[in-house]
Amino acid sequence: MYSYIARRLAFGALTVIGVSIMVFVVMRILPGDPLVAIFGPEGMTKLTDAQRESYMRELGLSDPLWVQYLTWVKDIIRGDFGHSFFRSESVADMILRRGPLTAEIALFSVMLSWLVGIPVAIVSALKPNTAADSVVRFFSILFLAVPGFWVGMLIVLALLFWFGYRAPMAGASLFADPVVNLQLVIGPAIVLGLGQAAYIARMGRSSLLEVIREDYVRTARAKGLNSRLVIAWHALPNALLPVITLSGVLMGLVLAGSIPVERAFGTPGLGYSMFQAVYERDVFVMQNLVFLYSVVFVLLNIVVDLTIAFLDPRIRLR
Amino acid sequence: MTATYPGAQTLAANGSRVRSVAGGIGRLFRRAPLSAFWGCIAAAIVCMAVAAPAIAPYPPLKSDFRAMQKPPSETHWFGTDQIGRDTLSRVIYGSRTSLTVAMGAVLFGTTVGALWGLACGYFGGRFDMASQRLIEFLQSFPDLILAMAIAMALGGGLGTVIVAIAITRIPFGGRVIRAVVLSLKEMQYVEAARGIGASHQRLMFRHILPQCVAPYLILATTHLGVAIVIEASLGFLGVGIPPPTPTWGNMLSDALNAGLVPPWWLVLFPGVAITLTVLAFNLLGDGIRDLLDPRLRGSV
Repeated sequence: MYSYIARRLAFGALTVIGVSIMVFVVMRILPGDPLVAIFGPEGMTKLTDAQRESYMRELGLSDPLWVQYLTWVKDIIRGDFGHSFFRSESVADMILRRGPLTAEIALFSVMLSWLVGIPVAIVSALKPNTAADSVVRFFSILFLAVPGFWVGMLIVLALLFWFGYRAPMAGASLFADPVVNLQLVIGPAIVLGLGQAAYIARMGRSSLLEVIREDYVRTARAKGLNSRLVIAWHALPNALLPVITLSGVLMGLVLAGSIPVERAFGTPGLGYSMFQAVYERDVFVMQNLVFLYSVVFVLLNIVVDLTIAFLDPRIRLR
Repeated sequence: MTATYPGAQTLAANGSRVRSVAGGIGRLFRRAPLSAFWGCIAAAIVCMAVAAPAIAPYPPLKSDFRAMQKPPSETHWFGTDQIGRDTLSRVIYGSRTSLTVAMGAVLFGTTVGALWGLACGYFGGRFDMASQRLIEFLQSFPDLILAMAIAMALGGGLGTVIVAIAITRIPFGGRVIRAVVLSLKEMQYVEAARGIGASHQRLMFRHILPQCVAPYLILATTHLGVAIVIEASLGFLGVGIPPPTPTWGNMLSDALNAGLVPPWWLVLFPGVAITLTVLAFNLLGDGIRDLLDPRLRGSV
């Protein structure tokens, strides 16, 4: 187990380094000129050459690329995520203030996806090709196709239209003001949770159908165990392993999906900041947020892999 | 199953190829009527995109200042937006952008990925090792975030959005085709071809590549839906194709910018268009997968 953990962590570190290089390449090298991204193509023409020079020097953009990369990495390690061009708050403070809200949304949505997806998968797998199964499959296919942010907009509209209700605009932490906080979090969590639940129900169904045909399940039935117990104690734990892995992969869907969904709900979370950074062409904030999101994604997948290894000796002892 | 293996039919007459495609469609209708039905809807959406100028009741960019932000009526079935543009026409024209971007991105991304995967699987060794690491780095980004970053860095526009989405599709093509090639490489007919002195090029493109067509088609159709959603999300976040070009994502974004309470018809119709299109392509993809690869039938 320890050697597995060590290998997985070493590999994760390598991935983070690779990701940082890739973010740097995309955000700093691809745009011919970051000043165009900042000032826009029109504003660009109004700058004199001297102004351009001084801006470039100020932003550290006239250094060689590898120096720029190392400076960036050093800043990140020191916890300095820089400043937005448009707001006084530092990016690090913004992450600390808004991050928890997005983390909460992600956590609730994953919990919801399991609470909805697994029972649905069980019903669907135990009675394949019945009416209930068809309904479930129809809804899971539908939820795979519906864009979450659009459902979010519809929910906001419907609540406003029929109940005259709108979620509060300002952020609040779970501990300081749980009522306001939950009102902010619940909408995005439901939208993102149902989106994941569709994948989980599909995967859980096919995985459970496979496990039910295994010899050991037949043995358990043959020795006279109650069939509910067979499912709950024998079949389900093994069928859930691929679902856990899928849940890790789906974290990408949640992290990325939270950006448009938070915009749709107007949630003051980190996803909304990402939207603002994109909207305002704030290259440096975007670069750091993209890196942060990817690192979180990588770390969560390490956690998932280690959980799987802990649960499944076939992987742990390989 | 000649439709599956075009390589086997290079000598066959052109007529039999037409017949085999028709036979494939016929099989789709008999075996998976639901997928065939949604396939028809997908075809209808494609026709709508192609014939947009003929179908759309109004020009998509023309503002009518006497009918601003009007709910659906007899003259404007889907209502008008805040500067009096007809929503129905904009939804119809939006299908053009959406399908162009999705098809362009999937074609480009999956093809690059497939060729990369072919090279990785065939040559193996250090090239394969390095490529696999690179693909893993690419997959460490959530799709939408990578597409956002690339689209933002390159600046908005049709071409950049296609490239941005295509890059997120490369790893999938690379992975799947590599796995297929790895198993094909060990097949006896490949060994036989190598035995009679076929070059690497000939082995890769004449003997192995034709067998990759089925997985390639399955991948391409299943990723069309994802590409459409990513395109809409990019438009919604303001890094897609810049306005005033009507895209479904832009329309939803405009609706939010219309005020604190967006009019319902501006929100409903573009979203329904996205959902229907993605649903149609996903279910068509399922049908094609079942048809081309019976082993996968009924799985995820």
